Amino acid sequence: MHEVAIAQQMIEAVVETAGRHGGGHVRVARMLLGRLTCVDPESLTFAFEVACRGTCAQGCRLEIQRVPLVLRCRECGDEGQREQPVDPCPRCGARGGDVLQGREIRLTTLDVDDLLPAEGVA
Amino acid sequence: MTEVTIERDVLSDNDRAAAANRARFRAAGTYVLNLMSGPGAGKTTLLERTAERLRDRVRLGVIVGDIQTCRDADRIGRHGVRVHQVNTGGGCHLDARMVAAALGAMDPADFDVLIVENVGNLVCPAEFDLGEHDKAMILSVTEGADKPAKYPLMFHESRLMLLGKVDLLPHVDFDPEAAVADARALNPGLQVIRLSSRTGEGLDAWTDWLVGRWQAARQGE
Repeated sequence: MHEVAIAQQMIEAVVETAGRHGGGHVRVARMLLGRLTCVDPESLTFAFEVACRGTCAQGCRLEIQRVPLVLRCRECGDEGQREQPVDPCPRCGARGGDVLQGREIRLTTLDVDDLLPAEGVA
Repeated sequence: MTEVTIERDVLSDNDRAAAANRARFRAAGTYVLNLMSGPGAGKTTLLERTAERLRDRVRLGVIVGDIQTCRDADRIGRHGVRVHQVNTGGGCHLDARMVAAALGAMDPADFDVLIVENVGNLVCPAEFDLGEHDKAMILSVTEGADKPAKYPLMFHESRLMLLGKVDLLPHVDFDPEAAVADARALNPGLQVIRLSSRTGEGLDAWTDWLVGRWQAARQGE
């Protein structure tokens, strides 16, 4: 449900960034989304599509790259990908671990249309 | 077409607002607790009992977040503490800007301890820093022992887990040891208090914990 709030934060950042780079239309926005976040990618895609309406990113495609959950075992220090944050360490069997990756909610790059020279700032 | 680098944490605006709140709480010497749980876990009832016990010992204030209605604030306010209601207008969590706005009505300098009762939701509130000192959560035994594994983030972020409604344990299939083991696999430092607002079990331990955290904050921990 908080995907709407997150999409609103995203569109603010997208519009501001596009404005600083000539103000062209934004075609693609790319982001990292960690597995441990409570954000549902489908809901976020829908909320972002709605948030883009009437902005320079209307119709923009959102490309979400999922970041796997990576834990460091608190007993033996083994680092690796896990399905769930309570899963046992494959080396020593201790459950859980410190989260190294998987909390990301991060915009990375945009594809922005180049303005025609006539429209550009002289 | 040009590829433009943006590299920005989406919640960075919230994090900045939270940092400003945190600075304000520290300057005022006010300890702030973000209390979270799923809907119906017993946050409001616990705060009613807390207000009765602490109102003569500490200057206690409560900021209540709800999607709609002022019922929770009315309930807590009857127990002699100052309460301010924040309606999120559909939002499923409080964010740092909503708390900053509430501080217009609840000056931190007027309180020793400020408890923020978050919107009832086991998912979203854990994602948003409010500038609090600590997060605490209630897991009531009627919700099921599988919740830490299914909704890990809140258990990961909390300093204290209150195991609520333990008076109902004889009537429900809830394995407290399993729930605590899962929660501590996520967060080994998690403190746990078994609680029943109905029988009073655990209420002294809870208020002692709260006062202890306030005193630790005052000594600059």
